[in-house]
Amino acid sequence: MQSKLEKVVAGLKTGPRFLKELREFDNLVKAIGECKSKAEEDRIITQELELLKQRLSDPKLDRSRGKEYMIRLIYCEMLGHDASFAYVKALQFASDPNIHTKKAAYLALTQFLDHNNQLVLLLVNTLLSDLKSDNYLIVCTALVAATKLIGADLVNAVYPVVVGRLRHPKEHVRKKAVLALHWFGQLDPRREGPLAGVELDKHFRTMLCDKDPSVMSAALCALHECIRSDPRPYKNLIPSFTSILKQVAEHRLPKSYDYHRFPAPFIQIKLLKILALLGSGDRAASENMAAVLLQALRRANSSHTIGSAIIYECVRTITTIYPNPQLLAAAAESISPFLLSPSHNLRYTGITALAGITALNPAAAAEHQVAVLDCLEDPDDTLKLKTLELLYKMTRASNIQVITDKMMGYLATCSDEHIRRDIVRKVSDLAERYAPSPAWFVSTLSEVFRLGGEHVDEGAAHRLVRLIAEQDAGLHGSAVEAYLGLLEAQGGEGAGAPSAAPKKKLPETILLVICWVLGEYGHLARRPPAAVLSRLLSILSSHKAATERVRGCLLTALTKLAAHTGGAAGPVGAALLQPHGSAGGGGGGPMGREAAELVHQCLNSQNLELQQRAHELTTLLSLPPPLLSSALPVDAACEEFSAAELAEVATLPFLDPLVTRALAAGAAPYLPPEARGAKTGEAQAKGLRFEAYEPAPYAVPLASSSTSYSAGVNDARLHLGSTSASTSTLAAAASSHTAAAATPAAGNQLQPQLVLKSGGPRKWGPAQYESEPPSQHTAGHSAGSSAAAAHGTAAAGAGPASSSAAGTTTQSGGGRHSRSGSGSAVVTAQNAERERLAASLFGTAGGTAAAAATRPSPAHRPQQQSQPSNGSANASQQQQQRGTAAAPSAMDLLMDLDVPQQQQQLTAAVGPASGSGR
Amino acid sequence: MIHFVILMSRQGKVRLAKWYSTYNMKERARVVKEITPMILARPLKLCNFLDWKNIKLVYKRYASLYFVCGVDVGDNELITLEIIHEFVEVLDRYFQNVCELDLIFNFHKAYYILDELLVAGELQEPSKKAIHKHIQDQDQLVENAKNGIGEEGQPR
Repeated sequence: MQSKLEKVVAGLKTGPRFLKELREFDNLVKAIGECKSKAEEDRIITQELELLKQRLSDPKLDRSRGKEYMIRLIYCEMLGHDASFAYVKALQFASDPNIHTKKAAYLALTQFLDHNNQLVLLLVNTLLSDLKSDNYLIVCTALVAATKLIGADLVNAVYPVVVGRLRHPKEHVRKKAVLALHWFGQLDPRREGPLAGVELDKHFRTMLCDKDPSVMSAALCALHECIRSDPRPYKNLIPSFTSILKQVAEHRLPKSYDYHRFPAPFIQIKLLKILALLGSGDRAASENMAAVLLQALRRANSSHTIGSAIIYECVRTITTIYPNPQLLAAAAESISPFLLSPSHNLRYTGITALAGITALNPAAAAEHQVAVLDCLEDPDDTLKLKTLELLYKMTRASNIQVITDKMMGYLATCSDEHIRRDIVRKVSDLAERYAPSPAWFVSTLSEVFRLGGEHVDEGAAHRLVRLIAEQDAGLHGSAVEAYLGLLEAQGGEGAGAPSAAPKKKLPETILLVICWVLGEYGHLARRPPAAVLSRLLSILSSHKAATERVRGCLLTALTKLAAHTGGAAGPVGAALLQPHGSAGGGGGGPMGREAAELVHQCLNSQNLELQQRAHELTTLLSLPPPLLSSALPVDAACEEFSAAELAEVATLPFLDPLVTRALAAGAAPYLPPEARGAKTGEAQAKGLRFEAYEPAPYAVPLASSSTSYSAGVNDARLHLGSTSASTSTLAAAASSHTAAAATPAAGNQLQPQLVLKSGGPRKWGPAQYESEPPSQHTAGHSAGSSAAAAHGTAAAGAGPASSSAAGTTTQSGGGRHSRSGSGSAVVTAQNAERERLAASLFGTAGGTAAAAATRPSPAHRPQQQSQPSNGSANASQQQQQRGTAAAPSAMDLLMDLDVPQQQQQLTAAVGPASGSGR
Repeated sequence: MIHFVILMSRQGKVRLAKWYSTYNMKERARVVKEITPMILARPLKLCNFLDWKNIKLVYKRYASLYFVCGVDVGDNELITLEIIHEFVEVLDRYFQNVCELDLIFNFHKAYYILDELLVAGELQEPSKKAIHKHIQDQDQLVENAKNGIGEEGQPR
């Protein structure tokens, strides 16, 4: 502090003119510096702005102080205050002859305005004359201002002048003109607006050959942008770029372009970025640049950050272009120092680069397992997040459990919205792709819902519900138990102990899922139905603000629960149907009262849907038991109508007797709408014309099929019952072999669409590489291949693997432990833990190393993998797609789930049935 | 590309802010308000990158000043760090052992230097020497102009 003061004093002494000129500004800065509070600062700035306003509007304004005023305005604006009153004044100062004032005014304008501002129009003339100025500094200033202020509507006014500046003798001007053109190009990237027909890239190509390296580097920036939008027209530049890169890397540029003794690293990196864009997906182009890339990679070293930056960029380029095994090997080798570095920055980039390499060569991550684990346990969130991303990319069926555990652990501690959403998306994605068993999938997704339910899209919830429905009773039971447990943890055991800290509320999506599951399968619970009822009701008491959607689903769930547990006579039904206001005489006790209270409330609810559901509940429960059980069948949620059934139902055969009776009684026969229209059309031919009205869309098949339940319930049920039997046996068979895809290939047309796949790759989403059963046993990866088979799917299976992995882990772990330097006893404990983790993460990855390396064309791998051992994967993939295609209407579907089709149709049927009766 | 460069003190006061993408006043204030605590709260030893919304923040602390750049997620973080470092080196050479006070009182100079280094969110001049030469020329010219106008007849 002392030294700083001295310096200021010295500065003040040496520059008296400076002092005089900026005294008021200095005083302002000092006053702000001494402020104790934000309020005080605001007060000073407001005062200052008032003063400036006064001064600037004064006709006898001292123009020589223009610069100072501008600087004071910038300062005020920088501190977040509005100085818009001075914008016009700044425009005036920009045309001041004094370069001093002009520069300050341009600076102020670039700070205050942007290219969308209308005021810029007033500046164009000044700008144009400055662009033509003899003084090259003024031209530079004007060009810099143009890169900020000129918008799409003004481009044409300045474009010709800027192009003219490309031939300016000063390289500074040429460079800035190129950058200004670069900015213009960004304003209209497709060249179809104001810049239509303008050959910007021709200029850039010319400037690439400029004799001054900095002009060339500016042209590289511009070309990079052009190539990013469309690389095709620039393929012929590849030889130029590679030769420039070669020359730069060989230190051919003047010494002044060195940066920490690296030859022009900024230019190198720009070139590498461009080459990555040009080479991606282009085999011939990639082969042309391979040698230069290798050279650039070899010449750089990580002794300084800038060297690491070049290496990192090289690796990124190598992983973007058409894969070249030699380059990939060199890249993998060059990033190991990054991962072992004590610097977090390098480890961060190392992990990012490793993720890129892993996508092409899954074995790469296994070599660095210790480093990856280190990063995963690092206190640095950014690093941890990046590592999770890497894990996401290297997930396969064998390590899914560990990886989702890690992600979930992070999710529980993280509070950033964006990150949470991202992790939730990743976990549900992974779980759908690789889940080892339905039970695991259900429990994982439920956990995700619990931790980050607000970010789950309803499609995922829908798929979860669907999956539960497809499984057998054992899973239903376990799902019910899991959700009851969840509610219990939530409710803090009712009136018992009020939990110390108010627990986080369950998000709405999971509540809907819970309601549905407990409604549909609550009778499978290992406790009496009344207990399930009380749990369900506890949703209301713990979520006071439960939305009406949740309440509606809850009502339906109660209905189904009652129907499955003995109807009106059962404990739940009795509780629900207790007359309102009865003094708790019935079976339910306080709980019963609560249930009846809910039903009663909803009967009188303002919300029509709630009201309807409540009425449905009371009506359904008053039906005779056989009718009730066929209206709400047990475990029929995943039945689907076949097309034949629908067609049969759509003809409404059960109405035939009714119709014959009515016809016999003298009713008019039914006329189809078309016939009806023709008839009335004749009668009214010369009256008003009615053609404009299209006939209303009649009778959607599904809706009409519903009528079956009002009249012919029993026989329709028989049909459905048979399909139900067949689907459920299939489902049972499927879930019995969990590791493979859940659906047998046969009969998948009848199968429900969401099918849990453990191995099947997806068509969409990031490309990933499946670990195949290791065919070759590589020496370096004894851990991987031997563990792979034994490992399978269970997390517990990590035990045997850890022993075989120990060799590799401990060996390379040395570096890490010397760094952490903790006591040896602790270390061994940690070691064991880490080994287990490493084995379960990388267990099978190592085995594929040789296989992957020998594979000739990695780009074709996705196709190869689509035939895993299980032949049905293709079919299931298609099914998956169909399942996701259905997802967009998730909102409706979720609502429908709570009112299983039959029931919904029952209510819909009331209309047509009564109508035809008349 | 670089979306913005912000210099802030350890107390979170903005010393310099340059916006290359379009942000209106309100957005600028929000950006500053949101990133300040994130950066100030980060322990020294952790890495200098932060994910924030759809932007990656790359920052570095020099003495009592934080230099923060908001860049595209796909950008090379290390090179951004080096751009910051180059800026600091140029400042250091221009002000001869730069300190925060130099930047407070001569913040317009810092803006001029930044304009020489970055244009439209891209690095325009990879050579420190060239930047120097340009800034010196500029100062020289300003000096001449001022002498010419202020004190007639005295050639600097």
